[in-house]
Amino acid sequence: MREILRHPTGLVGSFLLALVLLAALFGSWLAPYDPQLFHPQARLQGPSAAFWLGTDQFGRDILSRILHGARSTVSFGVGATLLGVAAGAVIGITAGVVGKWVDSLIMRLVDGLLAVPDLLFTLLIVTVIGGGSGHAMLAVAVAFTPGMARISRSAVLSVRTREFVQAATARGESRLYIMAAEVLPNSVGPLIVEATIRVSFAIMLGATLGFLGLGAQPPSTEWGLMISEARQFMFRNPWCVAAPGVAIAMAAMGFNLFGDALRDLIDPRGQR
Amino acid sequence: MNAAYLARRFASVLVVLVIVSITVFAITLILPGNAAVMILGEYATPEQLRVLELELGLDRPWHVQYLSWMGNLLGGDWGTSMRLSLPVAGLITEALWRSAALAAAALVIVTVIAIPLGIIAALKRGTWADLSISLFAYLGTAVPEFVTATLLLVFFAAPDRGWFPAGGFVPAAESIWLFLYHMCLPAATLSLILTAHIARQVRSEMSDVLGSDYVRAARLKGLPERTVVMRHGLRNAMAPAVAVISLDVGYLLGGIIVVEEVFAWPGLGRLIIYALQNRDLPVIQAATLVLATIYALSNLVSDLVIAALDPRVRYA
Amino acid sequence: MIEQVDSLVSPSSQDARPVLHVQDYSLTYTTRAGPFEALKSVDLSVMRGRTMGLVGESGSGKTSLAWAILRYLPANAREGQGQLLLSGDDLRAKSPGEITDIRGRRIGIVFQDPSTSLNPTLTLGRQLSEVLVRHRRLSLKQAQNEGEALLARTGISRPAEMMTRFPHQASGGEKQRVVIATAFACNPECIIFDEPTTALDVITARQIQDLFVKLQDDTGVAALYISHDLALVSRIAHDVAVIHRGKIVEKGPSRQIFSAPRDDYTRMLLGAVPNPNIRLVNSVLSRQSPTILRLEQTTIRYGEKNLIDRLFGREQKEVVGAKDISFGVRQGEILGIVGESGSGKSTIARAISGLNDFSGTVALRDRAFHARQQIDRPYRRNVQIIFQNPDGSLNPRQRVRDILARPLKLYGLVPASGVDAKVEELLAQVLLPADFARRYPHQLSGGEKQRVAIARAFASEPQVVLCDEITSSLDVSVQASVARLLVDLQTRTGTTCLFITHDINLVRQLAHRIAVMYRGECVDLFDTSDHAAPERHAYTRMLLEAVPTAAGS
Repeated sequence: MREILRHPTGLVGSFLLALVLLAALFGSWLAPYDPQLFHPQARLQGPSAAFWLGTDQFGRDILSRILHGARSTVSFGVGATLLGVAAGAVIGITAGVVGKWVDSLIMRLVDGLLAVPDLLFTLLIVTVIGGGSGHAMLAVAVAFTPGMARISRSAVLSVRTREFVQAATARGESRLYIMAAEVLPNSVGPLIVEATIRVSFAIMLGATLGFLGLGAQPPSTEWGLMISEARQFMFRNPWCVAAPGVAIAMAAMGFNLFGDALRDLIDPRGQR
Repeated sequence: MNAAYLARRFASVLVVLVIVSITVFAITLILPGNAAVMILGEYATPEQLRVLELELGLDRPWHVQYLSWMGNLLGGDWGTSMRLSLPVAGLITEALWRSAALAAAALVIVTVIAIPLGIIAALKRGTWADLSISLFAYLGTAVPEFVTATLLLVFFAAPDRGWFPAGGFVPAAESIWLFLYHMCLPAATLSLILTAHIARQVRSEMSDVLGSDYVRAARLKGLPERTVVMRHGLRNAMAPAVAVISLDVGYLLGGIIVVEEVFAWPGLGRLIIYALQNRDLPVIQAATLVLATIYALSNLVSDLVIAALDPRVRYA
Repeated sequence: MIEQVDSLVSPSSQDARPVLHVQDYSLTYTTRAGPFEALKSVDLSVMRGRTMGLVGESGSGKTSLAWAILRYLPANAREGQGQLLLSGDDLRAKSPGEITDIRGRRIGIVFQDPSTSLNPTLTLGRQLSEVLVRHRRLSLKQAQNEGEALLARTGISRPAEMMTRFPHQASGGEKQRVVIATAFACNPECIIFDEPTTALDVITARQIQDLFVKLQDDTGVAALYISHDLALVSRIAHDVAVIHRGKIVEKGPSRQIFSAPRDDYTRMLLGAVPNPNIRLVNSVLSRQSPTILRLEQTTIRYGEKNLIDRLFGREQKEVVGAKDISFGVRQGEILGIVGESGSGKSTIARAISGLNDFSGTVALRDRAFHARQQIDRPYRRNVQIIFQNPDGSLNPRQRVRDILARPLKLYGLVPASGVDAKVEELLAQVLLPADFARRYPHQLSGGEKQRVAIARAFASEPQVVLCDEITSSLDVSVQASVARLLVDLQTRTGTTCLFITHDINLVRQLAHRIAVMYRGECVDLFDTSDHAAPERHAYTRMLLEAVPTAAGS
């Protein structure tokens, strides 16, 4: 951990990440106002002493809404990624371990699925299963699965050819042992890095879906949704869209930079 | 590059497209309810549904439906939009041209700006120039398109400033200048994001190349730095950079959907959103296939360009 | 006693002033872990027409000296007071522009690996002619012609054609000749050679060395020849400087260094070089010894054909790793298997240890196996393999204790309560302290890791141990100790051993019999003492001739 803080990217990333996680965990308590509370006298105001980030079209405190929405945004990102990683890892590791025609077949399918851009894939799925946060999270998870499958497979393949794995095979170890004790513990590194970076993509996708009305639904305080609701008023009070926008950027950047720093850490010391 | 290699790459693309088409088709099969329900609505009676199902051929086994659908597609019959009652092929073609114009504008801007930015960042690694370019690149990957689009709107299209229109479209046939004028902000949005991605990649590739053994050997031969960078550095960094650009077509395809929506640019992206929101099946299916084909073809083109640039691939 | 070998180097004229003069030069790198002194008060001189061999192990600073001379130091390098003079010119006082002029024109460098030091996307001809254009101001056309002439001088048979090729279309030897031609192209005063033959196979390496001596003789260039290989340097250098941890510990004419070394480190290095006349194994194998391992018509092929890949038109290339190999190994014997890279020697080891598919027969005592799938656990317990790369052969996430305990548990050799004691015993066998059991692999040195790998192999008390180039990735000084350890263990336990290596001198030291592999076939098999017999295969004789043996008196 100390290593990461020494990196400039790691430092900034950790800082942003800490902010975001703080908001996600304690946002509801830290928020000065109830996020749904209207203040009809003080609508579409810019930042002031009473409302640090201003108010939206209903007079709701933007800061409170953002703090409150941190939890759903972050849990969306992390949840979708974890699901996608789990599913992708199972597929990719199976392909990498079993090899031969099963591997070729799975990888061909994966290549095919990767031909559809993330957002489009997610939109398609959401259309099929319906909107809402839960479905959107599932959709993003499914969209991530082929990519994660590919990465887990290459992680497994690169470890499989290492000599200590061959030594285990030569000893006559069972397939299960080789997988569990030799291959998996050494493949996890790249997976973790990729997963961390993908959380940032998941957050952005979630926000985009919210913006398009296909993700979180009102009265949720999801940040993408906030921007979409405030669009028609954005010229009167740009803070309604700027504040959530900056929040999304901070969250995505935090995970992205942290993941990058993690990758630099794991790569040189480790398995190359 | 021999014919066999080309043939194999084409075959690869075809296989990918087949898989995508099956996936797209499969998604519609998994739909809770089916096409008939979607057309007639929730309150249709079972008899009405049955009649429509038979008419649409929804009672046939799924592989027959798939083959018939694919057959129609390849034959040029892309069906009729359920909501708009217009032939899908026509809808998509028109929308495709408009999206293509936008995408082309963005790609041109990006190529001209992003590649030099990446090279400069790699050459001046660790300096302020590099740090600011890198920062910009990171921001670009962390800000979703709709946020950038909205912020640009706020800044450039505010009613009291009105430098640019807040969206909308004027056909080029009517007025080429208005057409371009309306394209400015959406193209700029797309360019910003793509520039960030590509600059970052070019920087990374260029850095790797500049640190390689053969660049070191070139320097130690006494060649002037400019020659080293241009002749030895760039050539080798370009091939992987091209690979990344094809990946960015993927980002482009995703980003264009959102950008068109925000700026009300009637291209393929906007059409897809409309179709998704209204569950217009034929349009969804055809449009997705078109996008996937574009992506697969762009990958193919980039592979060919790489082969042209890297003799190892060519003469292997 | 080290035998005298005719040096190929002829005496040459001496100019008064040294071409390359390093005086009291120090270099320190500032790292996160503190300052690292790479060079300490180095004094070195190379005269015109002479070759100075700079010998040291990895980390000795020999490469740093090359960078310092060429003024190509990284940002965290801090130089001390010393001087670097090229024909009297102070290199440290030169501006960057002047340095760019000097590089290639007055000082050249030849790197170790031509595959990475040549630009893969430019033709060889272009990379050669660009120095001529730059420094000798020739036009491109003139440079091409001159380039062809230079290539001819370095022994390339069809220079015009070679000029149009790309690096990946030329062999290692050809590429290195191009690099050497490039270095000599502008008639520099001095050329630095950084391990130029290490990446090449033995026979090609010998040819390149001969080429070097000839060119150096013809042009009178002052050469700084950096290497870790003492035997090699003794053959081709007039003078030798031995460097250890940044300090020159001994310097002098090469004949003197090798016959009468004064410094302890030099003596240690000399002692570590495998001398084929010093036998490590003194036992003579009894004729009655039964054959314990037998290969019959064993063939190993690479390249899996599977249906899906064929459908998608992926190219299928089948490579034959080894063909029709038949030999028997006697109990208690050390059989050396030598060959160059790609000869198939490692492939055989992998087939015997059940890692590769094979056709034909592999038999252990009275059990014969005709396919990899037939190999079972009892066989595997009795046939163990040790790999070349110490970094790769131990699971980085397991402690030494767990690594060694695994075969014990797997084969049920000791009850759970006795594992720790047995691990300690194994460590003692390979001369490692008992507390190493708690360590992780990255906390061990290369030699120590290799010892753990050896301990692991011997843990199951196998009948056969396969050693696949186990010393090749280690430093010279460590190689000797690991080789001796293996021989000790083998003698004590009576285990049969297949020792695979490309180092012929080493194999002559420790094997009872030697098998020679060439392009996948076993071309020769003989008792070690018969190596000079007339019935030896032509390739065997070529190999023996190509390998340098240490010079001395």
